[in-house]
Amino acid sequence: MTVTGSTEATGGTGQRTRSAGRPRGVDGVRRRPRLHEGQWWVGLLFLAPGLLSLVLLRLAPAVAAIGDSFRKVALDGTGQSHWIGWDNYARLVANDQFVGVLLTTLKFIVVVNPVQVVLALALAVVLSERVRGVVVVRMLVFLPVAAPAAVATLVWGIAFQPEGPINAMVTGVGLPRQPFLTSTSQALWCIVVLLSWVGLGYWTMFLIAGIQDIPRSLYEAAALDGAGWWMTLWHVTLPSMRRTLAFVLVADTMANFLTFAPIQILTNGGPQDSTRLIMFDIYDRAYNIGNINIAEAEVVLLLAVMVVITAVQFRLISRER
Amino acid sequence: MMALPNEIGRTPARRAVLTAFAWLIGVLFAVPLLFMLTSSLRPGEDILANISRITVHTFVPTTWTLDNYRTLVGGEFGRAVFNSLLVSAITVVAGLALCSLAAFGLSALRFRGMGLLFGLVVLSFLIPFDAIAIPLSALFRDWHLANTYLGLILPGVGNGLAVFVLRQFFLNIPRELTEAARVDGLHWFGVYWRIYMPLSKPALIGAGFMLFLFQWQAYLWPLLIGTDPTKVLGPIALANLNGQFKVDFGAIFAGSVLLTLVPAVLLLVFQRHFTGSLAATTSKD
Repeated sequence: MTVTGSTEATGGTGQRTRSAGRPRGVDGVRRRPRLHEGQWWVGLLFLAPGLLSLVLLRLAPAVAAIGDSFRKVALDGTGQSHWIGWDNYARLVANDQFVGVLLTTLKFIVVVNPVQVVLALALAVVLSERVRGVVVVRMLVFLPVAAPAAVATLVWGIAFQPEGPINAMVTGVGLPRQPFLTSTSQALWCIVVLLSWVGLGYWTMFLIAGIQDIPRSLYEAAALDGAGWWMTLWHVTLPSMRRTLAFVLVADTMANFLTFAPIQILTNGGPQDSTRLIMFDIYDRAYNIGNINIAEAEVVLLLAVMVVITAVQFRLISRER
Repeated sequence: MMALPNEIGRTPARRAVLTAFAWLIGVLFAVPLLFMLTSSLRPGEDILANISRITVHTFVPTTWTLDNYRTLVGGEFGRAVFNSLLVSAITVVAGLALCSLAAFGLSALRFRGMGLLFGLVVLSFLIPFDAIAIPLSALFRDWHLANTYLGLILPGVGNGLAVFVLRQFFLNIPRELTEAARVDGLHWFGVYWRIYMPLSKPALIGAGFMLFLFQWQAYLWPLLIGTDPTKVLGPIALANLNGQFKVDFGAIFAGSVLLTLVPAVLLLVFQRHFTGSLAATTSKD
């Protein structure tokens, strides 16, 4: 993706942050001011706690997961494990349930991300208008962000009960009662609704900030050109906030990939595996089915996807490239 | 003021419609919170009696009571909320120390390989924690950190976004300040503590809030590592209420209110700093 650095024109007059590279003299030759000599070990000292926690909390588990994914614990109760090569991966790929999990996760991601980003964008556009009390409305939209996943899950779980208030509204307007979480075709979309209630406000805040960063002069120029609202949205607003939009899309994808609490609390992957998303599948294999090595192989696959998405995200927030 | 083509509300009539629409959206987002709040203030039977039809009593209790809260606070749930407060508070303090030290090392100092280190630190911490939570929980059990406060706190202290936001802020502090202080004989830790930290309150509040939210809202990690009744955190205790033989809706709603209230109040107080920090991740100075 080449989004980074392609929106230079939108930054206004603010000064560019100092480059992380070494300072250069006028002639372009590297110059090291005396004051900065020997800073590498000072730097290392400041970074030591961060690097240590990085090694213990990120690197060690990743290495452990990779190692375990090539091993198998013997069933003789000794807890000894032995090397079995790619066997765990081969068994995963050959497992129909796992293939189903991938398809469900893919279906979920492909629907939920565009829906959330488009809705958040629409909200951001409306809430950037000069509307009476817009600050209060923004607060109302943002407030669900405060609710932990477990809270959102339980409250919406009660709302989606067969005899619950949402069905009361549905039957109130003359429609038949809906099965919601007990239906293979509806359960996943109920999860999408509850996740969006928590998440939309968060992404909307990013996008409002992006819209407010767009210089007024661009709109004045559009007005002089006689552009209408849609033309302005398409040719001024959206291109100006490409970077913010891309960041939101990537960060949202990552959050949705890791959806866990609603599944574990409400559906346990059911009915008939229709809400069995990858994070729950890993947890279930590791702790309920008890096949930790297969679960670790799945963790490695998930990690690989996360690393790719994170690299894209990093490029998007890093201005110094 | 000239009406610009990006405005929907160009005429008074259009603006009136838009205002009504915006408020409708705001109310829709708030309704579940309102439902949660009023349901927490009524007896369980009263919730059940009014849950399957929409009337004024869906939101207005026929009997008002604080019993749900009383039941919770004395029991296991009260303990869990205390644990959550403790764990989150320590996470914010320790996390801010770790993240700001790292951010300082990656912004105020100049040394060979800094770009590489910066990439390594932020990139690794940006990989969502939940993705490695399951292998890490196995390691934590080996290291005897299961069911300890330390085990619950540690994963929250390194936060890539917090390092990033702080570093972004630090980069805008004029280097002349540092150089003058160094010439006057202030050591590097002094520069960090006496110049950078006092100047960075808004960024510290924003980053602190990120650290807090991560820990307060965590579900998977405390489920894996904090199952001992004395070390259970709020969200787990709440989910446990749902799993009991006889589900007490009143208690669930009251617990939900308690767990939402703390971040909501902080959000209302510090919203400007938090959204400012969020904006800093994608906007340009």
